[in-house]
Amino acid sequence: MLSFSRNFALAFAVLLLILSARAEAQQQALGFAIERLYTSAPGGGWFVMDSLDLHGGLGGAVSMTSGYERDALRITEGSQALSVVSTRAFLDIGGAVTYDRWRVYVNLDLPLYTGGHSGTIGGYTFTAPLVNLALNPDTLSDARVGVDVRLIGGPESGFRLAAGAQLIIPSGNRNDYDTDATYRAMFRILFAGDSGFFTYAGQLGVHVRPLNNYPTPQSPHGSELLFGVAGGAKLPMGAMDFVVGPEFYGATAFEAFFGTTSTAFEGLLTLRLEGTADDGPQLRFKLGVGGGIQPDFGAPQWRIVFAIEVFNHNQKH
Amino acid sequence: MAQDAGASPAAEETAAKAGEEARSTANEEAPFTLMGYLAQHGLHNINNEAWNLYGQFTYISSWKPSFQAPYTNANGSINSLVPDYERAFTYTFTFFFGLRLWPGGEAYFVPEIIAERPFSNLRGIGGAIQDFELQKTGGETPQLYHSRLFLRQTIELGGEPLVVPSGQMHLGSVVDSRRIVITVGNYSDLDIFDQNHVVGDPRQTFFDMAFMTHASWDFPADARGYSYGATVELYWDDWALRFGRLAPPQNPNGLPVNLHIWQFYGDALELEHDHVLFGQPGAIRILGYRNYEDIGQFSDAIAAYQANPAENAASCGSRYNYGSGNFTAPDMCWVRKPNQKLGIGINIEQFVSKDIGFFLRAMYSDGKSEVDAFDPADRDFSVGAVVKGAPWGRPLDVTGIGFGMSWISSVHAQYLAMGGVDGFVGDGRLSGPGGEGIFEAFYSVNFFRALWLAGDYQFLWHPGFNTARGPVNIFGAKVHAEF
Repeated sequence: MLSFSRNFALAFAVLLLILSARAEAQQQALGFAIERLYTSAPGGGWFVMDSLDLHGGLGGAVSMTSGYERDALRITEGSQALSVVSTRAFLDIGGAVTYDRWRVYVNLDLPLYTGGHSGTIGGYTFTAPLVNLALNPDTLSDARVGVDVRLIGGPESGFRLAAGAQLIIPSGNRNDYDTDATYRAMFRILFAGDSGFFTYAGQLGVHVRPLNNYPTPQSPHGSELLFGVAGGAKLPMGAMDFVVGPEFYGATAFEAFFGTTSTAFEGLLTLRLEGTADDGPQLRFKLGVGGGIQPDFGAPQWRIVFAIEVFNHNQKH
Repeated sequence: MAQDAGASPAAEETAAKAGEEARSTANEEAPFTLMGYLAQHGLHNINNEAWNLYGQFTYISSWKPSFQAPYTNANGSINSLVPDYERAFTYTFTFFFGLRLWPGGEAYFVPEIIAERPFSNLRGIGGAIQDFELQKTGGETPQLYHSRLFLRQTIELGGEPLVVPSGQMHLGSVVDSRRIVITVGNYSDLDIFDQNHVVGDPRQTFFDMAFMTHASWDFPADARGYSYGATVELYWDDWALRFGRLAPPQNPNGLPVNLHIWQFYGDALELEHDHVLFGQPGAIRILGYRNYEDIGQFSDAIAAYQANPAENAASCGSRYNYGSGNFTAPDMCWVRKPNQKLGIGINIEQFVSKDIGFFLRAMYSDGKSEVDAFDPADRDFSVGAVVKGAPWGRPLDVTGIGFGMSWISSVHAQYLAMGGVDGFVGDGRLSGPGGEGIFEAFYSVNFFRALWLAGDYQFLWHPGFNTARGPVNIFGAKVHAEF
């Protein structure tokens, strides 16, 4: 009897040890700013790249961009997969003031819906976000304030070069995958040009990102290199131009340069119809469909984006 | 997109005259605005705007010395105004952006930042909270949010041309005196209903919430004061009729809203008549409201506790409650269900000269149920005067005095006397129920046409409708800037 009790106690103690060891190995993963579509400044033309056709006197632009994406945060471990952020919809409202080759702008992001699945994978416990207009009737996530200046070239030249800086002001809730809850910054070299029917744009920059959640899978890994290029045909249609072409853009963490799980790379087929008059307000409609070429690190499986812009290059007086 | 709103020749002439008048007084009596500045330099058509941008910054600080109170938070209740010295503050930073979409169609987006610290965690005062900017979900860390995002469509029906001056959430334009205006989206009932041009923008006048609107109008809103819905207005010369429905909060005084607006809602119906008396403008507004919300009634909570004392305020468990620790008090957590709440009120404004105006408001609500979104008053009355400083050579200064009272119903008083808490009031006892009163006087000095510094004094008696506590002296200061 005594021997049975001792064996039972021993087995119970071993079981407790195993369970506590497993509990220690499972860490709670924290949320962060999941969105990888860093929209261009209002009036910029492309969804991500910037056509840099700034000109004229005091003018400006207003933009409204809405997007829907699937599986922005999908963790895989062997044959297991967990879609922590499976659905996201947002509305981005932006405004810019332009003068000659300068632009100052602000973008505010309204998360409309974010949902996903909770679970444990790879030793981490993920809690799915739940954001909708009823629960979060007035949330604004990270605000972006920026300035761009064209340094080389004119508004229609074959090569234009610009520099831009953005400050990202934290707002929202990390648990909702809205924000890193830290200030961030972006510094970019932007280039663009037009040659006949061909139009192109691109960027290379640094995303200063203090948050480093390594080794949590798919989480921010510190500051990142930003890159992107777009190109397509610009076809005149009376008083408007129709532009169609792909945009490729992404980010990779400096600490794991172009690593498989530390790089986001997306493609977007962009169509836009825009007014071309040099004075008076012009409209631009944009539609983009695409997704992650490498759907990791925040790049979704697929996304669709729509935008309306009103812009005005007032003639200088 | 047309920049011109397509105004008729008569309307254009009216607008031109208004513009000329505005320009002639711009440097003398008009506050500085970015839109006015751009218009003066030929960069913006302020009479027929395609867009506009306004902004404001307001910092309010309030001080409350200690006051007399024989008891505070009795029996574990939590909603007393603390009788010790306290300092409270709010600061807000707001942008108002408007865009004309098509003739008659406008869109507005209003992001805002707020940080705050209330007295006593925003507890202990009923209808006379000393700072109208205070929100129920605020904190000392600045929060960025969108207060409004809505569409407005005006359908012209003829009549005389009327100038709509450029302003916050108004594009400068000319409209018909007979028109229908439809507003849809995210906004506040107070943006449309219960307007009073004597009180005007509270950021320019009174500090106390008692003068912002009817204290007993439990208008549907989230914890910040905004919601989602739609309003239709019919303007017919001197008359206006408005009806609106907004979504209430999911839980009383909470931030999440219930968007099933056909199931739970707050309706408002208002009739307005504008008049001219002895050459000065005035208006009378009758406002009725009907809310259908998931709220508790005081009689049900009392009956539930008397039938079973285990259904008390400290035993709510997972049921939505305000955190009272009073085992001997009834609580709404046990009795919330779909209930109706009704009220009717009057709002009168009358200018007696260009710079002096008087106002009066009074409302009677049924007083059967708890506060869902605003404050716990069941009846209210307020009266006062506002004077601009032109008579003494300071046209942009503003001064005013106001007197307000609010009361609770007898069953509401019985609930509080038994130790119950209701949103913001509930001392654990109610030795002598009575009306909560406020007297306020302020003076606001203008500098450089864009900056105001204001001093304020408030005398509050019977805080939380409890005649045993108070009175309370409250001193305030405000810094306000606009562009």
